[in-house]
Amino acid sequence: MNKEQTIEELKNIVKPYIQNQEAFDGLTEDTDFINDLKINSANLVDVILDIEEKYDIVIDNEAMERMVNVKAAMEIIETKLSEKNS
Amino acid sequence: MIGNDIVDLALARKESNWKRDRFLDKIFTVKEQLLIANAENTEIMIWNLWSRKEAAYKIYNRETGIRGFFPLQLECFYENATLGTVSIKGKTYFTQSKIENDSIYTIAVVEKEYFKKIKSINPAVEILKKNRIPFTIDCNSKIEKPVSISHHGRFWEGITVLD
Repeated sequence: MNKEQTIEELKNIVKPYIQNQEAFDGLTEDTDFINDLKINSANLVDVILDIEEKYDIVIDNEAMERMVNVKAAMEIIETKLSEKNS
Repeated sequence: MIGNDIVDLALARKESNWKRDRFLDKIFTVKEQLLIANAENTEIMIWNLWSRKEAAYKIYNRETGIRGFFPLQLECFYENATLGTVSIKGKTYFTQSKIENDSIYTIAVVEKEYFKKIKSINPAVEILKKNRIPFTIDCNSKIEKPVSISHHGRFWEGITVLD
């Protein structure tokens, strides 16, 4: 799976919860879910559940702790997917 | 050190579906879920506990510089609808919550005595930020005062501690 594709998929996942359109339009790996996209912290749970459902993976508490920006989310998806397929 | 958090219940109803499969498992410990299951009003209990965790997180984040999403580590001890504590990694913070006008508002402090010294700040006052942590500058003394701000839906609350 390539990076661009994952970023696009992540954009679709976070879209319903964002409160800053400008940051969303210019989303990069460094975009922060809370500080930049202004996602409500209770909605971060929805983002996590949506990712789990989309990729059929389980995001454990340790991974969830780091889930504050696009880069971390991408790394977590990649790691959990490779664990699943190994 | 202080932290606050407000939940607009009308907005929370719109934004969050806590009935969603595994939603509660991700943010509440087994003990907290038991409180929720036995609560007279499930929704109020959920957002009451959530606002306590959020308010306590703000102190923890300021004290340690640690940033992340770890609601399960912030464990609520629920004394009653108003009072309680939140503990994380050996630290304990005291919380005071208020349920009114379709909102739940929690203030968290490091020492119980601080509750008496909490002062609301005027929404018009200029809020500055250093490393994303908000503060104001007292217009007389020019001293920087840490503040905690929370905004959700129709509500805005800002607090500081009196000297």
